[in-house]
Formats: sequence, structure tokens, C-alpha cells
Amino acid sequence: MNRLTGLLAALALALPVSAGADDVTLPAAERVVLENGTVVILSENHDVPLIGLEALVRGGAASDPDEKYGLASLVAGLLERGAGERSAVEFAEAVAAVGGELNASAGLESLSVSADFMSKDADLMVELVAEMLQRPQLKRAEFTKLRDRSINLLKAAKGSDPSNLMPAYANAFLFGDHPYGNPVGGSESSLAKISHGDALAYYQNMIGGDRLIISVSGDFELAAMREALTTAFGEWRAAAEPLPDIAAAVAVPGARVLLIDKPGATQSYFRIGNIGVAESYPKRAELELANTVFGGRFTSMLMTELRTKSGLSYGARSSVARYTQPGSVFISSFTETSTTVEAIEVAISTLGQLRDNGLDDAMIVSARNYVMGQFPPRLETAAQLAGVFAMLEAVGLDASYINNYGASLAAATGESIAAVIDEVYPTPDNLVFVVLGDAELIRDQLAAYGPVTELSISEPRFHP
Amino acid sequence: MALFSELRRRNVLKVALLYALGSLVVLWIVGGSLNWLGAPVWANEFVLLVLALGFPVALIFAWAYEITPSGLKKSLDVDQTQSIVFKTGQKLNAAMAVLAVLGVLALVGERLLPTFELPKIIEPILLPPVYEEPDAEGVPAEIRAHTLGNGLRIIVWPDHDIPNVVMYNFVRAGARNEYPGITGLSHFFEHMMFNGTKRREQGEFDETMEAAGGSNNAYTSEDLTVYMDWFPRSAIETIFDLEADRLHHLAIDPEVVESERGVVYSERRSGVDNDNDGMLNEQLMATAFVAHPYQIPVIGWPSDIENWSQQDLESYFRRYYAPNNLTMVFTGDVDAREIFAMAKRYFGPIPSQPPPKPVTTVEPEQQGERRLLIEAEAQAPLIHMAFHAGSATDPETLPLSVLLNILVGDDSSRLHQQLVENEQVALAIGGFQMEGLDPGLVYFYLTLPPGADTDDVENRLFSALDRVAEEGITEAELQKARNIMIADYWRSLSTINGKAAALGRAEVFFGDYQQAFSLPDDLAAVTAAEIQQAAANVFRRANMTVGVLRSPDAGDEE
Repeated sequence: MNRLTGLLAALALALPVSAGADDVTLPAAERVVLENGTVVILSENHDVPLIGLEALVRGGAASDPDEKYGLASLVAGLLERGAGERSAVEFAEAVAAVGGELNASAGLESLSVSADFMSKDADLMVELVAEMLQRPQLKRAEFTKLRDRSINLLKAAKGSDPSNLMPAYANAFLFGDHPYGNPVGGSESSLAKISHGDALAYYQNMIGGDRLIISVSGDFELAAMREALTTAFGEWRAAAEPLPDIAAAVAVPGARVLLIDKPGATQSYFRIGNIGVAESYPKRAELELANTVFGGRFTSMLMTELRTKSGLSYGARSSVARYTQPGSVFISSFTETSTTVEAIEVAISTLGQLRDNGLDDAMIVSARNYVMGQFPPRLETAAQLAGVFAMLEAVGLDASYINNYGASLAAATGESIAAVIDEVYPTPDNLVFVVLGDAELIRDQLAAYGPVTELSISEPRFHP
Repeated sequence: MALFSELRRRNVLKVALLYALGSLVVLWIVGGSLNWLGAPVWANEFVLLVLALGFPVALIFAWAYEITPSGLKKSLDVDQTQSIVFKTGQKLNAAMAVLAVLGVLALVGERLLPTFELPKIIEPILLPPVYEEPDAEGVPAEIRAHTLGNGLRIIVWPDHDIPNVVMYNFVRAGARNEYPGITGLSHFFEHMMFNGTKRREQGEFDETMEAAGGSNNAYTSEDLTVYMDWFPRSAIETIFDLEADRLHHLAIDPEVVESERGVVYSERRSGVDNDNDGMLNEQLMATAFVAHPYQIPVIGWPSDIENWSQQDLESYFRRYYAPNNLTMVFTGDVDAREIFAMAKRYFGPIPSQPPPKPVTTVEPEQQGERRLLIEAEAQAPLIHMAFHAGSATDPETLPLSVLLNILVGDDSSRLHQQLVENEQVALAIGGFQMEGLDPGLVYFYLTLPPGADTDDVENRLFSALDRVAEEGITEAELQKARNIMIADYWRSLSTINGKAAALGRAEVFFGDYQQAFSLPDDLAAVTAAEIQQAAANVFRRANMTVGVLRSPDAGDEE
């Protein structure tokens, strides 16, 4: 029973928006671009006999074909299920035999492979990652098994904590047909439409060395690792098709409501928000300070109002997701069914407070200390560093972004933060409401916020 | 002897004694005021050094010079018949007597006035603190441990890789210390510890910590309540102040208690009422244990959450949050002496309490298989299967832990391969062992595909476990499990957070933090035969509790 689970993963997105303290600098790293376009980043550190590797292939679930949500995620899963000469079980055995960790998964704009091995097993690690990316078996039997299991796991998730389903429902409703509305893991109905042929085509068309970033940190010899990665990845083919262009989603004015009916639910789960900003948004430090104070830490405005003062909820937070194009801004929380509207009202008025009053000087100092104080542990292990270097590369930033972050935070003023709040956070009359609960008990009250669309939790999809 | 009597005659011995007493007074005054002045921790040691250097100087001076009616003269120049060393000696005696009386008064004052603190510098001089160094092989030499006079145990592992510090406070209070009427109280305290003290309003604890760059969390289990702070080095003193304040001066404001009941209810709705695994787990624990308090859900039964009284809360806090019931661990960018000195200053004044009543109930041997069925809205049925096993220190616990790794540890594990990949009768399988203060359970949980035949899957699972008891495991499986566990061990020790968790766990469950480093040797010693024997002892139907959750109409389909 945690006091609070996961609150601090506040700014959910593909990049460490959070930031550096004055005395936090990234370790030195070497960046090499191979002939096929693969970017290799190496950072040596001999503290612990471990090596972390992060490989990112640009693309991800946002490039899933229409109605076939979950394809990138299935392909990522298949990469682990047999590669080169090794069958699925042999591949898993090879990893486990040396106590390694190796996972592939899809994100919205990338497919990633994360590895964490003892340094003595560095050669094996590189071999396994190269095989799964370049020579996956993609067997039909494994595909069918994985697809069917994924469908059933979604059915099972509908009997578990509904918080886990909320991002998929909320993004589907906010973005609609836009690629950022794609549920990353797919839906029961979209997965059922995907064939083995789709997976083979996706692998050929969307995965290749031209869009690969490999970042390795930890206990190895730099020259040897560079050599090994160059040999293993330098000649990998390019993907057959270009990455699809993604247009910017436009915020829909006014208010609208999606109500997901879970009969018998004793609690209502809600997300309230709208379209936010892109990765290229320049005022990152201001945004991080604003979101830390609004809903990014335990004493945030949302936690204070919804938990500490009122006891309405166990947790409340705000998240700002930024991608190549503008992502979402959401307030999320949950409360007993009978207090659903009361809690939503508190959330909206807290948003109003943020927009009207901004941050005072004491809040700014506190948030800056907090962001800076919490940063070093995020760069502590080899695996974390490998991930940070890969993500910086993916969004086109370099080490100075982190090394100068303390200065950027220090430069933020009440005025510059107020301007960012005004730009990024929606006004209380332009909101998308996504509520999951016992519809019969809350349907009428929610109609007051705007037109209500209903969807049963047993429907096999996230898009209404 | 001639030298000794001359030392006495020249008052050198008295001067020595007076110097020592005078030094104590100086240290006393200085030590008390340095804290107010915010002087660095080493300031006390500096004053001590100056006084120590002055000691031989004073003795030589006393030997070589003599006070005469006409002023200070070299001893050799003084006519022995005119010497007044005897009178000077009497004055020295009087001065010592005054100092002695003052000392006695101070000690008495300390006893009579509980708020009066004996200046911190006195005790270490009279009774030098013991900063324990590791004595077992393979334990990092920089670790230090120390127990304060009030029983608070502190372990420090300095590691200067990042400018941050982690603090863990292990409170020996969990669901096992509860009984009907106060179930869930340990967990409720985990919340109340953040809700205000006699000096700080509700919310101020977190506001102060976050403004200093720190964050925190806490969890409650069957055995413990654990508080964690993660903060930059610059916030160390703030953390001590905050932690000492809530241990010493917690406010249990009745209004806040009412509001916090709502928060805990919300947590219960998320983790139990609206989560099928949570619901099944709660019922299974209550079925597997008929006597031992491990039957109590950590979150508490709803009617108890509603009915704790103010008096329940106050007496629970006094008993379980006493310094002698806590173990604190600090890892990261710290110096051990600095931590011990601050701990003494901030936690030292908190009075110890009589130790809590030990938990003496022993779960009786299970008399035959137990089963429960929950019918709930669920597309995917669930099976939980548990067997009684030992406590953390039971010799069979490590072999069983290795076995769990072999059975359900990763995608290549036996049961995952059999039930999920090959037979495809389960969507996922996991397992764990409680490894607590008292004998607990080995526990498996499975998610099944919609429409699955739960009896069939249960039989497959039990047969697979029974097969281990009958046929054992292979050397290759054992070696793989060892490698996985060793790599995980290194990963856990690669962060200051992992280090703090490991030291504290070893200290609390095994009585010695040094046990945190024995895993590699212990694993090497585990044999396949031991594992088979443990499996045979544990995986018996009469020792089993099975819980099934499925939708009400699931039975009708067949």
C-alpha cells in the first residue's frame, strides 16, 4: 500500500523534460553516425560491472495503419520471439542464462529495445540486439499467439484498476482519428484486424538502420564497443517506406464528454484536458516549473485541493505529453461515485486558479529546488544514462540541454511562466472530459458539461 | 617517587585535574551554543583539539612556574621556605569543588527537567560513541552503524557518485501488529505521519521538504511501515528536522483524521473494490491464515477504517513509533560521523518506550485444502494459489526463492513456458514468497483467457509444482536462476536507493545489515536437492489455499 504510486512520473512523454541541477552535467559521450544513417552514442563508466543499451527506431504506434492500432506494438513483441538461429524460447534462455534483461516495446513515436547486462556479457548483448532488430524470425505461430494473448490481456485489464485504461480512452477521444489517438497497445477490435502479413510488411517498411539510434552506457571499452556496433549495425538496410508525416492536431473549442460505463464501479476515474504543445516548444523550463506546481508533485495545487484539503481522492496530477507535434495536457484523478461532480468542479476551479494567479516567487523557488534536487537520481545508472542519451538524440537536443537546465530554470520568472501557462493550459470553457464510472449514477450530472458520448467498458475499442 | 611527590608539591596534579574539569565546562558551553550559531559539525571537534593541545602546555607551566606573593616566578628561583604552593593548592581544591557541584547540579537538572538537554559534547567525551565497522568479509568497509542511547539504530553507507542522499526509516509496525477493531491502523499512520505536528500545519512537512529539493514516499506491509526520503545533500539538516519533528511531536488532529479516512477509502476502492486481483488476494489471505494476523489486509477492513478512535491512534503511535522500534538507513553523499552527530542532536531527545508486545501467535498446521470462489464481473478469470512456508530467516526460504525464479522468474521460466507459451491456458503467471518476520506463503497468481476452464488450469499448475517435489530441478535451471539473481543483486546495489533498501531489509529481517552482502555466497551454497526437499515440504494439497475469481455466468457456459 503505497502512500502514492507513480505520481512523480509527472510529465509523461518521450523525453526527460525534467532537468538538471546546477551541478549536474551529463558524462562525456561519443556520437558517431554510421554510413547507413544509424546514430551510435557511447558513454563509458566503470563504477558498476553493468552495461545499459537503448535502441530507438523512429516510428512507433503513431505510424500504425488506420484501424490497425497495436501493429507496432505487436511487431516489437515479435522481435523478442525468435531471431537469427534462436527460437523464441532459445532467445529468452540466452538472455536469462546470463541474468540479462532485454525488452522491446512500442511507444507513440518510436519502437525501443532496452537491454541491461553484466559487462562480461557485452558481446552477447550486442549480438542479441542486432539479431532481434535485423534478423527476427517473425513466425506466424508466434504472431498468432501474441496477438490473441494481447486481445485477452485487454479483456483482463478491464477487470483491473481502471486507471490503466484511462490514457487510451482519453487520447482516443481527444485526438479522434489523428495518429496520437491511436491506442499504443491496440484495442480488442483493432488487434483482431491485424494479420501476420501486416506484421511482415510493417517490419520491412517501417524498421531499418536509417531511423535507428543506439545508445550504450556503462562498463566497456569505448573503441571496442564502437567497433562492435559498427560491425553489427553499419550495413543494416534502410526501411522501405518513409516515416509518415504527422499533422498538428487542432484543439476542438468548447466542451465535450466521453462517459465509459462500468456498471457497479464504486469509483469514477476522470481525465480533463485538451491539446498542448510539441517537443519543439522552447519554454521547457517554464513549463516544467508550472506543471510541477500544478500537478507534478505531492504538494501540487491539484493534490492539495483533491486530496489533502478535501479527502476526495487518493491522488491527482497533471501531465503534459509532447511529441513531434503537439500532444495532450491532462488533469487526472478519481473519486467515489457520489462525489464525481464535486471532484471535477474542484479540478476545474484549480485549473482556473493556475491560469488566473500563475506562480508566486516562493512557489517558483520551491519548484526549482525540487526539480533540481530530484534530477541526479535520474542519471544514476548505466541504463538510465543510455536512455537519456537516446531520447535527447531522438528529439534533436544535445547534452547542453541538460547541462544548462539549471540555468534555464533559474532564468524563469513569474511573468515568463504566466505566459507559458496561458499558452499551454486550456481555458476552463474549452475542455474534453473523459469519465469512467457507473454511468447510470453520473450520466445526468455530466450532461451539464457538454454533449455526452457513451461507450460501454465491454466494447472492444477505445474510440467511441 | 621523588618525582611524584614533587609533582604533587608543585600542584601539577591539581592543575591537571582542574584543567580537565575546566575543559569540560568550556566544551559544555561551547557545544550548546554552537548548535544555535549554526556552526559546522566539526566545530566541537576543533574546540576539543585546542583544549587538548593546551593540556601539556598547562602542565609544563605549572611545573616550571609558581605563584608567589610578589607575582609569577620560575619554580627554581623560589625559596622553598617562602613557597605558597600549599595555599595555591587549597585555592585549586576550592575551584575543583565549585566545578564538581555545578556538574552535579546540571546532571540533576537534566533528570528533573526533561526539556533540558545535556549539551551534546559531554556524553561523547564521558562515553565515546561506538561507530560499528563491518566485520564480515565482502562488506564495504565504509559502512558504519550506531545505536543511540534511546535505542534508535542508524546505518550509514556513504557513496559520493551523485550529490544526493536517501533515507529509509523502517518502523516495526505492520498489519501483523493489528487485531480486530484496529485493522488498517498501521497503514493509516503511514498517512497521518504526513499530516501535521504540534509545530507544523498539515501539508507543511511536504512543502518544506519539496522546497528544499526533496521528495518522499512510504509504504506499509504485513510486517513494516517504511518511510523514504530522496533529497539533495544540501537538504540533510532540513530532513533531520522534519523527521525528528514528526516522530517527537506528531499531532493527531481529529478533523484531519476524518478527512484522511476518505483518502484511505479511496485507496481501498482503487486497490481492492475495483481491482479483481486485489479483491481475490484479500480474500485468499483471510482464508489461508486462520489464527495469525497475516490474515488482516494491510489497507484494513472497511468497518475498522470507519471506527478507529482517537485513543487507538495515540496509543499505537506511542508504542510503535518509539526510537527503540525504528531502524534508519542513510546512503549517498554523506559522512557517517556527520549523520550520527545530527541524529544525536535531532533524534537523541526522543524518549524510548517499553518494547511493543511481541506477536506470539503461530499459525497452526493447515488441516486440509482450502478453497474460495468469488463471482465478480470479469471477462478474464483469475486463479491465486498459495502454500504455507517459512519466514525470512527459515533455511528453506532461499531455496524456495531460487525455485520461484526457476518456475515463474522470466519468459524462459518453466511455468511461463508450459502454461502461457506451450499449452496457452494462461495469459500470464507470476509468483512471490512473503519472506516476512513470521512464516508466510509461497504465492502464485494467474490470469486466464476468457472462458477458461479454471479447474483444468488449477490441476495443471498443481501437477507442475508436484513434479518439482517428485523429480526436482536440473543443474542448468539452478545455474540460470543463480545468474539472474546475482545480476539483479548488482542492479539493486547500483543506486543509492537500492543500497538503502537492501541494508534496511537485512537489518530488520535478519538482525544484521551485513547479511545484505551474503547473497552471492548463499546462492552458491543452494543445492538442487535442497530445492526439491523444500518443494516436497511446501507443495502439498493439505497445505494449499486456492482462490478463483470468475464472472457469475462462467459456470453456465459448459
